[in-house]
Amino acid sequence: MTDRSNLPPTHPVPSPSVLALTAPVAMGYIPLGAVFGFLFVQAGGHWSLAWLSSLLVYAGAAQYMMIPMLAAGMPVAAIALATLVINLRHVFYGLSLLERLPRGRLVRAYMAFALTDETYSILTTLPASTPARQMALLALLNHGWWMLGTALGALIGSQARLTLAGLDFVLAALFAVLTVEQWRSRRNATPVWVALAAYALAYPIAPQHALVLAIALSLAAGFWLAEKSHADD
Amino acid sequence: MIDPYYTIAVIALMALITFALRALPFVASRWLQSHPVVRRLGRFLPLAIMTLLLLHTLVGSAREHATGPWPELVCAGLAAALQWRSRNPLLSILAGTGLYVLLRNLGAN
Repeated sequence: MTDRSNLPPTHPVPSPSVLALTAPVAMGYIPLGAVFGFLFVQAGGHWSLAWLSSLLVYAGAAQYMMIPMLAAGMPVAAIALATLVINLRHVFYGLSLLERLPRGRLVRAYMAFALTDETYSILTTLPASTPARQMALLALLNHGWWMLGTALGALIGSQARLTLAGLDFVLAALFAVLTVEQWRSRRNATPVWVALAAYALAYPIAPQHALVLAIALSLAAGFWLAEKSHADD
Repeated sequence: MIDPYYTIAVIALMALITFALRALPFVASRWLQSHPVVRRLGRFLPLAIMTLLLLHTLVGSAREHATGPWPELVCAGLAAALQWRSRNPLLSILAGTGLYVLLRNLGAN
């Protein structure tokens, strides 16, 4: 017989340590937060406001998007609409976590607030027995990395002026990453084709408003497809 | 310098909207789950919208210079391919952006 005394005491499910879970997020959030802080300050924003948006908004793509819009002095309503569009996917995140998130009102509200793409995808992989405190700590640490990165980037950005054309491509690259991840979770080509067709239709009509128009067209197509597949059931 | 009051107003509004979207399923779960159309939209919309955001951002970048959309297509393709293979967002984003900065600054803008 093997010596059983070397085996760890029996746990129902070994839950991975919070540090092991948050480390890869830190590797991503610190530099990407730094890019946000840097670009924000370079565009003429105050460093403390870069940090404030990472504290309160805490949504990478929307925060990258806000920089050129703020610099161009766009109307607040236009920025609000863009935020709504970019973050709409989050409505569908919480649904799969309803049963698993902590019950306490404050913790639950914070967890909902902090449900970024990365935190969401980690939480969905955790065993159901994971203690509430561990989930909250994970969300809190991830938020902390994002704010730390932002502070570092804003600090560097306020020291040196750097005019490199094309740094704002970071938003396009982030959208490419998010598109791939949405594709990975669905593997359905219809939304992609509908989106391409909608944009091709919308762009010649109104290049300035092609995005909003194409989203409206896709939404209409989405409703129609949903009704149609509902009728087929 | 961007006006701080304008910036604070934007941050407050963005924070509210983002939180509302993330909290909606917790507040209105019964309504969301009782509508099959909502569930089906959930399978359709996120990918469609993300494709549109990507496309629109690429078109916007390509219009800033006269060399055609090639740098945008190559760099977004690189970021997407790396993400597909590695699942490492930092690597994909930095490689895609880095190559784009190189292409834009070395090439004839």
